[in-house]
Amino acid sequence: MMTQTMIAPETLEDALAAMHAEPGSMALAGGATLVAMMNAGLVEPNSLVALRHVDTLRGTRQLDDGGIELGAMRRHRETALETPFKDGQTVLSYAASQIANPTVRNMGTLGGSIAFNDPGADYPAALVAANATILIVGATGTREVSAEAFFVDWYTTALEAGELVAGVRVPAALVGSIGHYEKLARIAGDFAVASVALQVTWSGDSIAAARIAIGGSGPTPLHLAEADDMLIGTGADSDALSKAGLLLAQAADPVDDVRASADYRRKVIPRLLAKAMREIAPAREAA
Amino acid sequence: MSGENEAGAVGQSIPRLEVREKTTGRAQYIADMSSPGMLHGAILQSPYAHARILSYDVSEALAMPGVVDVLTGDDLGDGRMGAFIKDEHAIAKHKVRYVGEPVAAVAAETETIARRAVRLIQIEYEELAAVLTPDEGLANDAPIIHEHLDDYIKVFPAVCGGNLVSRTELSQGDLDKGFAEADFIVEGTYETPAQAHLAIEPCGALAEMDASGRVTLWSANQSVFRVQANVCESLGLPMSKLRSLTPRIGGGFGNKMEAHVQPIVVALAMRTGRPVKLILSREEDFECVRARHPMRVRCKTGVRNDGTLVARDVEVLLDCGAYGDDSPGVLGYSLLMARGPYNIPNVRSVGRLVYTNKMRFGAFRGFGSPKVNFAGETQIDEIAEHLDMDPIDLRLKNIVATGDTWMGGSVLASCGLRECIDAAREASNWDQRDLPQTPGKRRGMGVACAAHISGLLGTGAIVRVLEDGSVALNTGAVDIGQGSDTVLTQMCAEALQVPVDGVSVASPDTDGSPYNWGTTASRVTYTTGRAVVGAAAEVERQLRDHAAEMMECSQEDLELRPGGLIGIKGVPGKQVSFHEISLRAHWRAGGPIVGHHTWVFDQPTIDPKRAVAHGLPFPQIGVYSFAAFVVEVEVDEASGKADVTRAWMAVDVGRAINPGSVEGQMEGGFVQGMGFALTEEMVWDDARLINPSLLDYKVPTTLDTPHELHTIIIEAAEPDGPFGAKGVGEIGLVPVPAAIANAITDACNIRLTTLPMKPERVLNAMEQAAHGS
Ligand SMILES: Cc1cc2nc3c(=O)[nH]c(=O)nc-3n(C[C@H](O)[C@H](O)[C@H](O)COP(=O)(O)OP(=O)(O)OC[C@H]3O[C@@H](n4cnc5c(N)ncnc54)[C@H](O)[C@@H]3O)c2cc1C
Repeated sequence: MMTQTMIAPETLEDALAAMHAEPGSMALAGGATLVAMMNAGLVEPNSLVALRHVDTLRGTRQLDDGGIELGAMRRHRETALETPFKDGQTVLSYAASQIANPTVRNMGTLGGSIAFNDPGADYPAALVAANATILIVGATGTREVSAEAFFVDWYTTALEAGELVAGVRVPAALVGSIGHYEKLARIAGDFAVASVALQVTWSGDSIAAARIAIGGSGPTPLHLAEADDMLIGTGADSDALSKAGLLLAQAADPVDDVRASADYRRKVIPRLLAKAMREIAPAREAA
Repeated sequence: MSGENEAGAVGQSIPRLEVREKTTGRAQYIADMSSPGMLHGAILQSPYAHARILSYDVSEALAMPGVVDVLTGDDLGDGRMGAFIKDEHAIAKHKVRYVGEPVAAVAAETETIARRAVRLIQIEYEELAAVLTPDEGLANDAPIIHEHLDDYIKVFPAVCGGNLVSRTELSQGDLDKGFAEADFIVEGTYETPAQAHLAIEPCGALAEMDASGRVTLWSANQSVFRVQANVCESLGLPMSKLRSLTPRIGGGFGNKMEAHVQPIVVALAMRTGRPVKLILSREEDFECVRARHPMRVRCKTGVRNDGTLVARDVEVLLDCGAYGDDSPGVLGYSLLMARGPYNIPNVRSVGRLVYTNKMRFGAFRGFGSPKVNFAGETQIDEIAEHLDMDPIDLRLKNIVATGDTWMGGSVLASCGLRECIDAAREASNWDQRDLPQTPGKRRGMGVACAAHISGLLGTGAIVRVLEDGSVALNTGAVDIGQGSDTVLTQMCAEALQVPVDGVSVASPDTDGSPYNWGTTASRVTYTTGRAVVGAAAEVERQLRDHAAEMMECSQEDLELRPGGLIGIKGVPGKQVSFHEISLRAHWRAGGPIVGHHTWVFDQPTIDPKRAVAHGLPFPQIGVYSFAAFVVEVEVDEASGKADVTRAWMAVDVGRAINPGSVEGQMEGGFVQGMGFALTEEMVWDDARLINPSLLDYKVPTTLDTPHELHTIIIEAAEPDGPFGAKGVGEIGLVPVPAAIANAITDACNIRLTTLPMKPERVLNAMEQAAHGS
């Protein structure tokens, strides 16, 4: 069968209704992933529901509590360059700015990326580190799921059939916290071999709060409260970092693939964590 | 002679002649072409590495609406093609020999129908044990991939048997004596992976039969003549029945030199009587065109304490893949390059080429040389370290110079290697280098040298003077994007002292162009350039004959003047134009002016007084370009990822006909070499290629290219080269892996012997080094 129709509704309600009316239809966001998959014959949706005219999915909204909501159709470029993130929320702009290349960043969207949940993608770990929640809409209403719960397995999310990602809510980060995204890729613009997303708050010479998520090293981003705790109260000395890093490496569930071996991924997790901490040192001095 | 001449002549970086067409998107590539009533083809690929084909059932595919024809090996005769060994049918017949091999094809009204219909073809196979590595292929009880290898036609004295396609040996001097004289010997085994050519344009073809049964074929190619030969051999057609043409080509690097889908497309067009076009997908192109050979090199080099290299022994094991293709040539060439550009008196290089059940491997920019260069040039650095000598000084002590001989004994008529080394040394500030240090990173610098040929095989040119004095050039050389149309036109314009836009260049056509073996082996500028210069000289001679008669003077008094004029020396106003001469020739006397020149490179590879060769596939090859590269890398301590931060490339090209194009080749070669060195590798899981896509197979992009990529052109003119020119197409790639490896050693004190030097390998080696110390 071939994809027969494409519609481009202007409201979320119409989009949901269209998805409902035609089982086997798929949402089309930036198309960076979906169109390539269709060209390769990997998926053959019988209809496409393009979200590009749904204005409510495109904007950002600043919340009174310092949180920020991003629409699902935000392009990576917009998330990277045009979103007023504060403090540790910037882990998201760092991640977005390292996705692929300018062409893909102008095309791809936040919603498309997280709905697809490629294990090498950059948003998942960053959203977990930012403690974000995913806003989901469906025929029966809306629901909110924490990023940690949203990414379920390889290419699998908490989305049910007929549901769409409406957006993401990024809570206010601690005042003075620092966000950072450390990505290791084979060449510029490739998916991550492994990545470290973090929010860290310093109090004097020691870490007051930390939230670390590992990307590219298993079916879903890896976050361990225990590893965060290992850093709290320390000065991020190499001992503390390697302890936390090792814990994360042991818990990670990477596979061998063409990007790297599982062994290598385990090996670099602590090293990338240490590198990330070194990279934020200037920001820490400035803060 | 240049400089004072017309705009665009030799030595000037004029833009490509077709620049407008390409930058505005109007250039026609094979995928852009169509013909009225055209059908679309698709291939079915083998799921097995090695299997006997028991039966085909094509009924369901044929019954699908829109399907016009299904082609299998049973529909074709036993014709076989191959550049060196005729071992390959147009489409798998009796057996399949690798996963992905075309085993059936469909012609249908649309591409979508064709692609769907191939999935309906049922083939019954009997699976056979597969050979996946050369070592397995050489084992005593190995399954045999080509049972009739002994009976195949071979165009050279191949030493073969079983799965051994070819064993070649080249030696000079006395190896045992050489090593006995050595004070220090370094030895190692080096492994390099398959690299994909990844021309931006995937392969494809369009064929059409006329009412008389003659076929016209357009295809992505590097030689319309090799296409013609391959199609005619595999389908049993006389060459008179096939006209091979070329649209614009989106890059080659070797993978479009020999056949891809052309024989299949011609067979479909002849069977259906309708035009048929087939364009491979990127994945299919990865899986069934060809790639660089996986290679293992054992290398041993002996040196005296004063730094004099005295002996080298090299043993090469090459994975041929399922068909011979250009592999015997690649093997022989890698052996010829194994000594490197050094005067090592005692050398032996021996290699074996072995069939495996993988896609065929073939020609790829460098033609076997980058791999032996990686081995040899990293050993030079190891020796320098041992002797506590500067690696550049060690090289300078041993390099070849003009008048010396290359491995095998051919004499170097020009050699600018010393100038290359000096220039790269100076530009990179090698001697006073003070590399910037960044926390978490390690920087290092490395050097490597290389040489590459420009001369082999046959070529020709026809130059005509049109009625108005314009010049028409026809060479049969396919411009695959590297710029030969422009460069050959510049040479023709220079030779006749006319402006570049006074010369037209014909698109290669087997019906009308003189033979050209192909756009490969860095040979077009040198070999075809010589043909152009020869044909232009013939035209000049005819023009002068006319001019002497027209102005009633003697030949000796005449001179060629810029702008298409022949005048009487010392008499400024006294001249006739090409226009006037050509009118006379066309309408009154002598006949239209046509000059042609064809030749075949005939300098022997081997001087039997100096060297011994067995099983060498090319008896005549030569004319060397030279290179010295200095590279700076930065290695990330956290991940082991190595990035090239700066590079200085000095290349002796004899004469840069178009310096901008020369620089483009150097830069492009560098980046492709960087991919080979650091990121690119085709990976098989058992018999299946697991990364046949741009998502999984990573070539460096502009974002990975160092900001500082310095090109330095050295011009040691080749006495018989056209305007002194030699080739530059491949040499920019050859020394890159070795230079990067040497820089990584400088940075991290580790020595890698396997490509690619990906982060994992670097990091593991760094850890081992740290634990070892
Ligand atoms: C060359 C290249 C390099 C890339 N490199 C990276 C990289 O380095 N890092 C990285 O993170 N990503 C990378 N990507 C992926 C890129 O970020 C994609 O944009 C992203 O994965 C998909 O976003 P999209 O908007 O294009 O979605 P689409 O391709 O339109 O859709 C993707 C999937 O999500 C579904 N979908 C889309 N929107 C919604 C929604 N609102 N709700 C529910 N389902 C939805 C679609 O139905 C489809 O199944 C790369 C892509 C390419 C082509």
